[in-house]
Amino acid sequence: MKNDGGSVLKDHSVVSHEKWLKARTAFLEKEKEFTRLRDELNQRRRELPWEVVEKEYVFDGPNGRQTLDDLFDGRSQLVVYHAMFDPKSASASSSWTKDAACEQCSFWADTFNGIIVHLNHRDVTMLAVSRGPYAALNTYKGRMGWSFKWVSSGESDFNIDYQVSFTPEEMARKAGTYNYNQQPDHSEMHGISIFYKDPAGKVFHTYSSYSRGIDSLNATYQYLDLVPKGRDEGDRGPSWVCRHDEYADNAASHKGCGEQR
Amino acid sequence: MKKEDSGIRKHPVVAHEQWVAARTAFLAKEKEFTRLRDELSQQRRELPWERVEKAYVFDAPNGKATLADLFAGKSQLIVYHFMFGPDDKAGCPSCSFWADNFNGIDTHLKHRDISFLAISRASLPRLEAYKQRMGWSFKWVSSNSNDFNFDFKASFTPEEVANGTADWNYSKQKPGSTEVVGISAFYKDPDGQIFHTYSCFQRGVDMMNGAYNYMDLAPKGRDEGDLRPTMAWLRRHDECED
Repeated sequence: MKNDGGSVLKDHSVVSHEKWLKARTAFLEKEKEFTRLRDELNQRRRELPWEVVEKEYVFDGPNGRQTLDDLFDGRSQLVVYHAMFDPKSASASSSWTKDAACEQCSFWADTFNGIIVHLNHRDVTMLAVSRGPYAALNTYKGRMGWSFKWVSSGESDFNIDYQVSFTPEEMARKAGTYNYNQQPDHSEMHGISIFYKDPAGKVFHTYSSYSRGIDSLNATYQYLDLVPKGRDEGDRGPSWVCRHDEYADNAASHKGCGEQR
Repeated sequence: MKKEDSGIRKHPVVAHEQWVAARTAFLAKEKEFTRLRDELSQQRRELPWERVEKAYVFDAPNGKATLADLFAGKSQLIVYHFMFGPDDKAGCPSCSFWADNFNGIDTHLKHRDISFLAISRASLPRLEAYKQRMGWSFKWVSSNSNDFNFDFKASFTPEEVANGTADWNYSKQKPGSTEVVGISAFYKDPDGQIFHTYSCFQRGVDMMNGAYNYMDLAPKGRDEGDLRPTMAWLRRHDECED
């Protein structure tokens, strides 16, 4: 993305109300065209073929051990947010720690925490899945004040099969596949997977998205796209993001994160 | 939008290799779309600004606040025009849905030099009571005593609504009520001069609703095809039957 920071703010064109309206109304046509393109892309996405989920996956969570089938919780559609959190592999270079999930995933969670009640009324169950043990997930969830369901895929192959976790061997041999055609940067990566259960109880994997494919799900970024400075990330990516209780002005004890690091 | 759930029966089911091939081909289209989106955002930032000449004073939780005060030390201000008129007992369900999507993100936005808040014409006590009922934490101020909502086309007079002469979303329309949803962005330069940079209405606020963007990924989509109005399924989060 173009460096969209301060440069645009100096000597920005300032016009009369009539000229402002004229430019804005012309741009509205482009926005409407974009919205139509988005509807069309969404329609094509729904036309993608599905694959049958053959394996039995077992998760550990607030309801004890549950299968993928159980996680649908009576609805026909399941959205899984793959949150990067595995205390075992936490290191100085990982975005997750021994007791906290990745900063970016925590940012995404801040945007989906309050909407699940609405998704539930569109026949969608949504939850987060991570490789870390359930106790670690639950402790961190309490710290962040979230209410969404979060289960551990623990030792099951779920995270490996849906290409958000990678074995030490894959990482060493650069043999992992992330986002269909690239290599993972870390042993845990983020993404979204969608499943459908038909009336006969058969489960299908309909869609997965990774990397910037989940960008439109973060409402914060959509608001940033409306303001003069835009995302203002230049080439630095989302390095400004902190866990919501770790920004210097929010934190009880300054832990150092984002661009304060 | 096309009716979206008809594809559920007899949907094509393929082997993993074919699934990956179809998905990977679609990824190229998604990336092209993301680039288009970045380009559109860039063009939006290049739109001219207009000066805000009027002095607006709002009823805020800490007393009277000018538009300049609402920037709270930041140079950018985002206003969510929340439909909650002076005679309404509660905020509009659809704006409440959007609020469930933006509650909590102001913490992140302020670290991008943005002050974010909601503005409505209902009195401050009504806004605060409803905010408490819904468990929200974002800032919400009342424009009841000024022209702000009318000037930025988020409120219309009963006559404009009745006659279909409301300047809604940049054309003369007949909105369903005197209050409409929208988002406005403002910029304050180092000298303290305030500019109106952008406003959007109707489906222009659609991208800001993460829940819809999640639904767009699911097999049934928004599944609003037969519903009139399309959001007939929606309830305030504390009014869902279960």
